[in-house]
Amino acid sequence: MLARSRPWVEASLEVREASETECWIKRGFSMCLTGADGGSYHDSIRFWGFCLDMLSARAAPSKLRVLSLYALAVALVATALFLSLILQVPFGNPFWLFFPVAVITTTWTGGRGPGWFAVGLSTVAVLYYFIPPIRSFQVKPRDVPFFLTFVACEVIANWLIAWRRETEESLRRVRDELELRVAERTAELKNANDALLNQMADQKRTEQALQATRSELARVARITTIGELTASIAHEVNQPLAAVVANADACVAWLARQEPDLAEARAAAERTIQGATRASEVIVRIRSLINKTAPEKSPVQLNRLIEETAALAGGQASRNNVSLELELSPGVPTVLGDSIQLQQVILNLLMNGIEAMTSIADRPRRLVVGTRLLEANQIRVSVEDSGIGLSSEVMARLFKPFFTTRSKGIGMGLAISRSIIEAHGGRLWAESADSHGSTFRFTLPGEEGPVA
Amino acid sequence: MKEPDPIVFIIDDDRLIREGLQSLIRSVGLRVETFASAHEFLAAKLPDAPACLILDVRMPGLSGLDLQLKLTDASIQIPIIFITGHGDIPMSVRAMKEGAHEFLTKPVRGQDLLDAVQKAIASDRELRKDRAELGEIRARFESVTPREKEVLDRVVAGLLNKQIADELGTSELTVKTHRAHLMQKTQAESLAHLVRMAERIRTNPRK
Repeated sequence: MLARSRPWVEASLEVREASETECWIKRGFSMCLTGADGGSYHDSIRFWGFCLDMLSARAAPSKLRVLSLYALAVALVATALFLSLILQVPFGNPFWLFFPVAVITTTWTGGRGPGWFAVGLSTVAVLYYFIPPIRSFQVKPRDVPFFLTFVACEVIANWLIAWRRETEESLRRVRDELELRVAERTAELKNANDALLNQMADQKRTEQALQATRSELARVARITTIGELTASIAHEVNQPLAAVVANADACVAWLARQEPDLAEARAAAERTIQGATRASEVIVRIRSLINKTAPEKSPVQLNRLIEETAALAGGQASRNNVSLELELSPGVPTVLGDSIQLQQVILNLLMNGIEAMTSIADRPRRLVVGTRLLEANQIRVSVEDSGIGLSSEVMARLFKPFFTTRSKGIGMGLAISRSIIEAHGGRLWAESADSHGSTFRFTLPGEEGPVA
Repeated sequence: MKEPDPIVFIIDDDRLIREGLQSLIRSVGLRVETFASAHEFLAAKLPDAPACLILDVRMPGLSGLDLQLKLTDASIQIPIIFITGHGDIPMSVRAMKEGAHEFLTKPVRGQDLLDAVQKAIASDRELRKDRAELGEIRARFESVTPREKEVLDRVVAGLLNKQIADELGTSELTVKTHRAHLMQKTQAESLAHLVRMAERIRTNPRK
C-alpha cells in the first residue's frame, strides 16, 4: 500500500521542495520535531509530509486515508480522555471541553464520518469515566440532562463543522473543476495554436519551394534566351577581340618602323586595352545572366540596366538589320528590385521585338526602348517594334504559359516576365497598332526621390 | 603625269576596329579614310586615285553586301576586301561572285590584311590603267563616221575590200580610202591593232 503510493508521495514532496518557504510555514511544527539534522532531514520531511498529505482534504480518497482518519479520531479522543483524567487530579473537575475540541478537530480534518465516530467514542468515554457512577455505563437520572446536553453539543459541533467543511469542499471542487477546465481549454488553445504555427511553417516552406521553382524556371528561360543569342554573343565577344588584334598589330607595326612612332604606338595600345575591357564586360554580362543566384532586391537604375541589356541584344538586332534606339528620359528614380530578373524581362521584350520584325521589308525595322516617369512615382518602360503586330487572338493568349508563335520558343518568356514584374509591384501589358507593330509596356514603382 | 597616292577606305561600325585598322594601314605609309556606315561612304566624294575598300559584312542599316551591290549597280569599280566575324560559306560565295577581292575573317592578322590591301591596290591600279586606255581608245573612235563604221564592222568580220565594196555598193577605191581614214583616226599601227581595239570597245560597251 505504502509502496504503491510512493510516486505520488514523491510528487507531493517535489512540489513542496519547489516552494520551500511555503513548506516551512505550513509544516513548521514537523520541522521543529525533527530538527535540522542534515541526514534525516529529507526522510523526516517525507514522513510528516506523507502523514499530513494523508489527512489533508486534497489527498486522493483511498482505504489507507479513511483508515488513518478513523485512527486520528481514536487518537484525538484518547488524548482528550488522557488530558481530562490527568487534569482532573489537580483541578478536581473533569475538563469536558477537551472532547468537543477532539470532535471538532476530527470533523475538521476527516469530515462527517470520522466526526460521528469521534462523537460516539467521546460519548462512550465520558459516560464511562466521568458520568457517575464512575467506570460504568449507567447514568443517574439527575445527570441525564447534563449528559444529553453534552451529546447534543457534540452532535451540533460535528454537524456544523462537517457542514462548513463540505461546503468548502464543494466550493473547492468547483474551483478545481474550473481550474481543470481552464487548463483544458488552455491546452486546447495551445494545440490549436501549435497546429496553426505548423500550418504557417508548412505554407512558408511551400512558398519557399514555389519561389525556388519560379527562380529556377526563370533561370532556365534566361539560359534559353542566351541560347537564342549565342550567335550574336559570339559576335559580341569576337568584335572586341578583333579590335584587340588589329590595334595590337598596329602598335607592333608603329614600333617596328625604322623610326618608331611612339605616339601612334601608344594610341594603338590604349585602344587594345579598351577592346580587351569591352570583351570582358560582355563576358561579365552573360555570366550574370546564366549564374544561379537567389533573387535579391537592391536599388536598380533602369536606364543603365536598359543600356546594358541593349548592348547584349545589340548583336542580335544588327544581325536582323534592326535599328535599336533608346529614348531614356533622364531623372528616372531607381527601382527596388532584382536587377538580373528585370534585365531578363527587358531582354525578353527586346528579343520578341526583333523576332516580330524578321519578315518586315516594306518599312524600317525599328525597335525603340523608352523610359518615362509617370505620376505617383511610377516608371513606365516601353518597347515598341514596327513588326507584324498582334492579332486579337494572339493578344488574348499572349501571357499564357507555353503559348508561343515561334517554332523554337518554349512560350514561357512573357509569362515569366509578367510574374517577375508583378512580383516587383508593377504591371506588364501589350498594345498593338493594327499590323504596324506592337508595344509592350511595364510599370514599376520608383523609390523615393528622383535620381539625376 | 604622276599617279596620285593610293588610298584605303575602311567602313566598319565598330570604332575600335576602325581605328585599329586605320592605324595599322597608316603605319605602312598608305592614306586611309574611315566611315562608320555604308551611307556615309556613299555620301562622300571619292578621290581619283588607286584605292581599295575594307568592308565589314555585318553592319546596322546597309550591310556590306548591300553596299557591294549598290556599287556594282552604279558601276563604281573598287576592289573590296570583306571582313566578317563569322564567315559562313554562302555569304562568302555570294561576295566573291559579286567580285569581292578578298574575304577575311575576324580577327584579321595584320600581315594578311596588309598583303590583301597591297594586292587590291595593285589590282585597282591595273584596272585604272585599263580603264584609262579604254577611254583613250573610245575617244579615238569618236570621230569615226557612220560610213567608216560600216566599213570597220566588215573589216573586223574579216571581209576583203572587194567584198566590202560589193556589200556597200561602192568602189573598192572608196573602201580603201575609208580604211586609211580609219587607221589614221584610231592611230592603229596595223590592221591587227585596229581589230583588237574595235573588239575591246565592243566587249566593254559604254554604260
